[in-house]
Amino acid sequence: MTPQARPRGRAAALLTVLVTLGVVLIGFAPTASAQGYVPISGAGSTWSFNAIDQWRKNVQQFGIRVNFAATGSTDGRNQFKNNQVDFAVSEIPYGLTDAGVKDYPPPAGSYSYMPIVAGGTSLMYNINIGGKRVTNLRLSGETVTKIFTRNITMWNDPQIAADNPSLKLPARQIIPVVRSDGSGSSAQFTAYMANRYGGIWDDFCHKAGRAQTPCGFTSNFPSYQGIIAQNGSIGVSNYVRQAQSEGSITYVEYSYAKNAGFPVAKLLNQAGFYVSPTAQAVAVALLKAQINPTDLTQDLTQVYSDGDDRTYPMSSYSYMILPTVVTGKFDEQKGRTLSDFAYYFLCEGQQSADRLGFSPLPINLVQAGLEQVAKIPGSTKKPTDIGKCNNPTFSNNGTNTLAVTAPHPTACDKKGGPTQCDVSGKPAASGGGTSGTGGTSSGGSSGGAGTNTGGTTPGTGGAAGASGGGGDTTSGDGTAADGGTTGDGGSDGSVSAVPVSVSLPQDDGTLLIVVAVVLMVMVVAGPPLVARFMRRKS
Amino acid sequence: MTQLIDVPDPVGHATPDAPRRRVSLPGGIDRVFRGVLRGAGFTVLGLMATVGVFLLIRGLDAFSVAGFSFFTTQTWQPDSRNFGIAAVLVGTLLIASVALVVAFPLALGMALFISEYAPRWLKRFLTSAIDLMAAVPSVVYGLFGSTLLQWRGTDIPRWLSIQFGWIPFLSVPQADPDNPLSPETVYATSTFWAGLVVGFMIMPFICSVMRESFTQAPQGEREGAYALGSTRWGMIRSVVLPFGRSGMIGGTMLGLGRALGETIAVALIISPIFVIQPHILGAGANSVSALIAQQWGAASPFGLGALMAAGLALFMLTLVVNFAASAVIARSRSGQGSDA
Repeated sequence: MTPQARPRGRAAALLTVLVTLGVVLIGFAPTASAQGYVPISGAGSTWSFNAIDQWRKNVQQFGIRVNFAATGSTDGRNQFKNNQVDFAVSEIPYGLTDAGVKDYPPPAGSYSYMPIVAGGTSLMYNINIGGKRVTNLRLSGETVTKIFTRNITMWNDPQIAADNPSLKLPARQIIPVVRSDGSGSSAQFTAYMANRYGGIWDDFCHKAGRAQTPCGFTSNFPSYQGIIAQNGSIGVSNYVRQAQSEGSITYVEYSYAKNAGFPVAKLLNQAGFYVSPTAQAVAVALLKAQINPTDLTQDLTQVYSDGDDRTYPMSSYSYMILPTVVTGKFDEQKGRTLSDFAYYFLCEGQQSADRLGFSPLPINLVQAGLEQVAKIPGSTKKPTDIGKCNNPTFSNNGTNTLAVTAPHPTACDKKGGPTQCDVSGKPAASGGGTSGTGGTSSGGSSGGAGTNTGGTTPGTGGAAGASGGGGDTTSGDGTAADGGTTGDGGSDGSVSAVPVSVSLPQDDGTLLIVVAVVLMVMVVAGPPLVARFMRRKS
Repeated sequence: MTQLIDVPDPVGHATPDAPRRRVSLPGGIDRVFRGVLRGAGFTVLGLMATVGVFLLIRGLDAFSVAGFSFFTTQTWQPDSRNFGIAAVLVGTLLIASVALVVAFPLALGMALFISEYAPRWLKRFLTSAIDLMAAVPSVVYGLFGSTLLQWRGTDIPRWLSIQFGWIPFLSVPQADPDNPLSPETVYATSTFWAGLVVGFMIMPFICSVMRESFTQAPQGEREGAYALGSTRWGMIRSVVLPFGRSGMIGGTMLGLGRALGETIAVALIISPIFVIQPHILGAGANSVSALIAQQWGAASPFGLGALMAAGLALFMLTLVVNFAASAVIARSRSGQGSDA
């Protein structure tokens, strides 16, 4: 190439790249602003992030662009108060007193609350017996409170054993994992503990350096020796899902456990049954939620003590905080976009709630929510025929179909029974570890697993596997202390390897990491390589 | 335009040799240029002063409530009026120390390799690779550390703590290596991992400053060293390293400043605790900037003031470190004792 030709050729190449980029960008850009939509932004709850994110993606096809930053409920409320975002999502309203400080609301009449989705704050855990993941753990509220206040520190604690007659949990330390940021999940979880087990909770609060009595709920879980704190719901669930984090337990919205492919504990309700945070159990529980008719905020006291045997006690609603007046940043065009987004998720969006790990809103709250949407300045005031929303809770007679049709728990889920349910809902095969029936087939395989994972004592693992096959509990028990959890699974037919709650691929996190590493390598090594290539060419 | 310049005699020999009067500036563009430069200088000073004053005003409330106990209390419960920076400040220093221990030898070796040993093609490639490493956002380093490194690398702190546990700060009291059921999480979310990742992040900065100063070692002295029979390492020791000493110190201090202030990578990795954690391999760590990043969104007005006070303490610490560094550099000039 002649010296004159080279720059021209390079310019042409650059132009080609630019044109290609432009075409690609235009091609992928949503057919926006056809309806006069403008991008809107919100911040807040990580508890309901999985639902909002799905809805956000679903409305992109209509040209509605919603940015949502899952930075925690407290941050969302503060940002909304300071007019930094167009809407906020929070589990708790303004005006509550947390650690002696009142969270003052924005000027009255400038905002309103709208329920967006229901769900259960669930206890995601990572504990194995004999190299197999436990998937049918049951906990009472008191046990949970004691775990998160460090009164129970070992998995083989008698109180946990009393909740789980069919499980022989190993002598592992419990690692409670909590949120390090201001969070609605922490607020819901601590509200439950403070309400039901105030004495234990207050003692813990004082030991952790808080002065208030009663301590009450808090968005910032107190820091305490032995408790691990991580940032965001994704942070805590990521911590618990690591293979090295065996023995850890955390509180997250059920969808996070579902996405991670991890089981959640069944929680004891007032009627004496251990219940999973399914969409139905949450719907039943929230029949008892006291909704304030003026601002739609919730009082969950009666949910915690609901006597229905199908109730999941730690159920709650999540709220969107909407502006009802035009302020500096929020104009009618944004109101129009926000209202159409809200109309979408109050109606069609609720169908996907169950699949995502949430519970759909009942009809009265959808109606109340629609009234709130009409208050947004610039709202399209779309007439919505809620009969056509296909919301699984709707019925003709005003009852909550999802709650009415919710199945009653089986007898093996009752407190005090000799056995507990396995993941398929049937009573676990071996009662209290005395009879060896059903342990034969699973014993051999778990003995093999013990050999692989235990590592330290391969010989014992094999031996324990053999003894597990025979259904002998005592020998399995003996090796569990130092042989790496080998024999236990063999003796215990109740442990299943297949978690039933898994419906999403488990390895999405790994894929993301691989993509991130590849991207990083490209960013670091790409430009110098290209530069060298071009230099050599010239 | 009024110009007060002493116009010399056009012929040039009318005035005899004597100290001439200082000529004032020719005005115009020079004056504007000087003004701009002066403005830039004072703006930077003004900005820094504003940050300090802002932090002081916002944090004054917290200071007056806590008093001197602000520096001795370990817990952080500002809403219960029980808070202090003893734990977080120590945590900050520990993370920064680990980062320096990691980054300094790495950067020194890399800089020496690039400037003295690497062939030309590798030199160019490595230089741009190091520069690009500095451009990777810190959140990427944070994710790398929090989701990959600290879980896959559990064996490193375990080995360190078992072999060197007799050194007090390398022991992990919660760990029980003889018990296979003891949790491995005691080795994650620690000062060590946060410091390691921060070390990776500051390494490029230290390395570029060092490399720059090493390449400026005078050619004449290098060849003189060779001529006296020195090996390459001998030449580096007697010429390059003494000549680049101020670059080494300056780069390290630059890195230290960044390590003290690093926020998001630390916040992603650590599990914040509010006690002084001298066991750097054990779970739980904290730093001032991570504390601010994690709590400001959720802080009450008074809590925000307390965070500002913590920020002021970190600001002061960084200032002291930087002034100390510049004092050290001023005392050992580059090429001191050399005639280049």
